[in-house]
Amino acid sequence: MKRLIVTALVLLHTLVAGSLLIADDHSPTAQLQPVIDQIIRILDDETLKGDGQKEQRRNQIMDTIASGFDFKEMSRRVLGPTWNEISETERDYFVTQFTKLLENVYVGKLESYGGRTVEFVAERIKGKRAQVTTLTPYEGSKIPIHYIMQRELDKWMVYDINIEGVSLVRNYKEQFRAIIQTRQYEGLIKTIEDKNKNFAE
Amino acid sequence: MRKGLVPGRGFNLARLGNREISVLSNLQRITLFMLKSERGCYVRSLRLAELLKQSRLLGTGSFLFILSLVILIGLSHVTYAAETGGGGLGAGIDPSVENPYPDLLLETEDGLAGPDLLDDDPYLSEPEEVLGDPIFEDDFVFNVPPPNIFDPLEPVNRAIFVFNDKVYFWVLKPTKNVYSFVLPQDIRRSIGNAFANLAAPIRFLNNVLQGEFEDAGAVLSRFAINSTLGVFGFGDPAYVDFDIEPRLADFGQTLGKWSIGEGFYICLPFLGPSNVRDSVGFLGDVYMHPVPYFSESLTFDMAYLGVSRINLISISPDVYEELKRISLDPYVAARQAYYDYRRSEINP
Repeated sequence: MKRLIVTALVLLHTLVAGSLLIADDHSPTAQLQPVIDQIIRILDDETLKGDGQKEQRRNQIMDTIASGFDFKEMSRRVLGPTWNEISETERDYFVTQFTKLLENVYVGKLESYGGRTVEFVAERIKGKRAQVTTLTPYEGSKIPIHYIMQRELDKWMVYDINIEGVSLVRNYKEQFRAIIQTRQYEGLIKTIEDKNKNFAE
Repeated sequence: MRKGLVPGRGFNLARLGNREISVLSNLQRITLFMLKSERGCYVRSLRLAELLKQSRLLGTGSFLFILSLVILIGLSHVTYAAETGGGGLGAGIDPSVENPYPDLLLETEDGLAGPDLLDDDPYLSEPEEVLGDPIFEDDFVFNVPPPNIFDPLEPVNRAIFVFNDKVYFWVLKPTKNVYSFVLPQDIRRSIGNAFANLAAPIRFLNNVLQGEFEDAGAVLSRFAINSTLGVFGFGDPAYVDFDIEPRLADFGQTLGKWSIGEGFYICLPFLGPSNVRDSVGFLGDVYMHPVPYFSESLTFDMAYLGVSRINLISISPDVYEELKRISLDPYVAARQAYYDYRRSEINP
């Protein structure tokens, strides 16, 4: 019984100390690192591997990503002026569809790897925005991935990913703009839905 | 920030002496070589014209052979244009499999690794301007920038994009698959090293033209070390033992650094995304490549290019297919990625 109490106290202490440590540090890197580490942990989790666990694994990964990535902000930025023209319901629906698209595109890609360590090599802060530079192993080399973040109250949230000067938000923004120009917002939503359906098959 | 030389890794560097000495002696050789090439330029263009004239009279068989080579050369460009910036012969063939991003390890203005991308926000006109807090939606004002890619030939470009796509899946990919099946990957990497080594003059000249003398020196050192210790460039002891990382440069990039505008967007048949400036740059790179100066026939040049391109794509990830997978409008995605990548290279 005594041992149990001691163990419980030690555990509690570690937990408190651990959370204090995180709460202490408000830097963008300190807030991004646990998110990335958690994603890697899920990818490495033996009990979650395989096609049978796909849905459970995806849900866990997406929940983790959502704690550090702001999909609404991404959606607003990729839509640009169109965001202001659509209704609140349409906005919510767009966010879910765009989130689904990013899940299919990037989480699908992540799943085929796993077991990697991401190095955090630089951090820049300008006003409410920050850039965290990481080196991510990929096929025997290390790729620099820059996370562009924005402070929302006391939390730094990622709203863009930049690899070799190519920004995720800008690339989709230009594609979406081209589609909206010819087929309006309805055409865009249709295209994203179709793409998501393609991934599901 | 670059790692210092580590003694006892393969060679005793202290005894080998100062690598600047070998650079100097090779500098003389290279200068001589460049002078000879410069003189050869006129003669060569004459010969090229002559060959082109003859090729019209060639039989159908040889014509088809050359055509298929051209297709192969070009197609490898489609896949790699986005990645290498379509910058021509030598630009993309760098062998640094272990670290293809040397720039990240070099010092930047603020002393941090990598480029500062925070000022490169599509919704920021003033770098110091701070976006409204998204919690309070009304603060958020879209400062919409005008489209910054000029593409007056879009319908034509889109047709060529579709054409390139077909050539990729019908010709290039099957060829690459056979090639990769026949040769193991480490051999293909060594071959890639050798091709990259021969393209060193492109990187050397362009680094000089850009005023990047330290990088030019690194290119020379790499060429000297890899041509000798690396056995005609098949190995890369310059990186493995001397920690000298490759320094990429191509003529389109040089023109860009000289503040020459991009001109309009062009999707080149076989060659993929480009613009007026980079197309000129590509031609410039062709003239800086040493192989055509020494070879006797256009067929050989084409074969050389074709094999080097197939080899390059066989040791690199499938950029083109990945792009198609993740985008809703691959044409716009490729165009945007090409411009973003080129701009980040030219104005880091």
